[in-house]
Amino acid sequence: MTRRVVIVGGGVAGVSAAGALRAGGFDGDVTLVDAGDFPYDRPPLSKEFLAGTKDIKQIALQAPEWYDDQNVRLVNRSVAAALRTGEGKVELADGTLLPADRVVLATGGGAARPPIPGIGSHRVHVLRTADDADRLRCELTPGASVLVVGAGLIGAEVASTAVLLGCEVTLVDPLATPLAAALGPELADWLHGLHGRNRVTTAQASVESFADRADGIEVRLAGAAAPQVFDTVVLGVGMVPHTKLAELAGLEVNRGIVVDTGQVTSNPAVLAVGDPARTRHDGELLPRTEHWEAAQHDGARAAATILGTPAPAGTAPWFWTDRYGRHLEAVGHMDQAAQTVLRGSLDDPAFALFGLRDGHVVAAAAVDDSTAVRAARRMIDRRVPVDADRLADPAVNLRALLRG
Amino acid sequence: MSDGIRVASLDDIPEGEGIAIDKAITGTDDNIALLRDTDDTVWALDDTCTHEDASLADGWVEDGFVECPLHSSKFCLKNGEVQGLPATKNACPHRVEVRDGEVYLFPRETP
Repeated sequence: MTRRVVIVGGGVAGVSAAGALRAGGFDGDVTLVDAGDFPYDRPPLSKEFLAGTKDIKQIALQAPEWYDDQNVRLVNRSVAAALRTGEGKVELADGTLLPADRVVLATGGGAARPPIPGIGSHRVHVLRTADDADRLRCELTPGASVLVVGAGLIGAEVASTAVLLGCEVTLVDPLATPLAAALGPELADWLHGLHGRNRVTTAQASVESFADRADGIEVRLAGAAAPQVFDTVVLGVGMVPHTKLAELAGLEVNRGIVVDTGQVTSNPAVLAVGDPARTRHDGELLPRTEHWEAAQHDGARAAATILGTPAPAGTAPWFWTDRYGRHLEAVGHMDQAAQTVLRGSLDDPAFALFGLRDGHVVAAAAVDDSTAVRAARRMIDRRVPVDADRLADPAVNLRALLRG
Repeated sequence: MSDGIRVASLDDIPEGEGIAIDKAITGTDDNIALLRDTDDTVWALDDTCTHEDASLADGWVEDGFVECPLHSSKFCLKNGEVQGLPATKNACPHRVEVRDGEVYLFPRETP
């Protein structure tokens, strides 16, 4: 019987697991180990927190009193050094031993740093933590020249925030149209075009080398005639899952901590959630899902497993991104769509793009129209048959379509 | 104030949606969202999501909850209780009465 749960990592996955345990009636000990002063939310790190319009307290994942109210013991400014699963303990870096019948690994990930010459320069920044954002913010001064490498979610949002702060921004990505698989080529092209429409110089390129100079950092881009000098570089080229604890404990790790659909690792006493978890479903290893809501759902599923209650109902994956004052949301799997239907016009947001297959919605993405995505999510989850022409007609109420 | 403020007709609020009533009318610090549930009951919460600057009146109303249009935090229509992250604070509820197809709001009164 599980009486003591130790959750290693205070991101949205770990905090959600703690909350879901209590919401599900767990009355044993819940201990949350977090490296920072308190768990904070990560999405604002590339937006309001980086811009300086919100401080760390304003992005706390829970109010300070929540931990007492929920009887969750927060062990802050601490990292776990080892899982002593045989002894039922978690060892912290300072030698403290926390008793644990079950451990939930919510260790997150670090920023990828590809082996590019000169990448160790102090002018090359990454963005995973509040400390990273604090350091980067000091460099994003008006007029500063900033190179952002990688035009996925974090890179694109940093570019947007840097423009807001008055920087001269260049954004490079090896792909012509980042996020094309997630959004479809048409919408991904529109979204990437926002950078240029907001005074960002974009280029399809990868970085060959960095070199520190007295007055900045010299960057050689593949295919460019001459190197360019920037004040600051920000890398947003992906995430490396933190799997070391799992590896040391002998758990199955394969570019992520392998878990079953109940978030249980190869050791039944250990569960894993969030960015580093990788689910095996029907014998097949799925890609990691590195999104905020997916991490929250992982936490809820892990709690259900520990409680022995049914897992929460599955729902289509969802993410959002905010840039240049535009709010984009996407749900489902656009790469599975056989046909796309645009509701509205790309020239005049708000608009929504629906991906259909066999008369059903399988994905949607919308700019400044979250109602369309809320509707689409329910159409996907409930397998509601839809008519493409009616979906495309902005005069047709989506709630009515959902009711069939 | 005992009769409440007549702020809308029921027909002004589509089922599953909301409308915002300006604070100049309600006399409250925030606008108030009137939210019509899928069972045709009407509820009122402070309009601004407790997480970020979004109008709950633009949210998705269904089965006793409103979902914020920005980051999908859900709030209970009856008491404003937050159901999930990223919001962590409850929304302030207000009492509503529907009489003869007209919606009356009682700002700051517990529903």
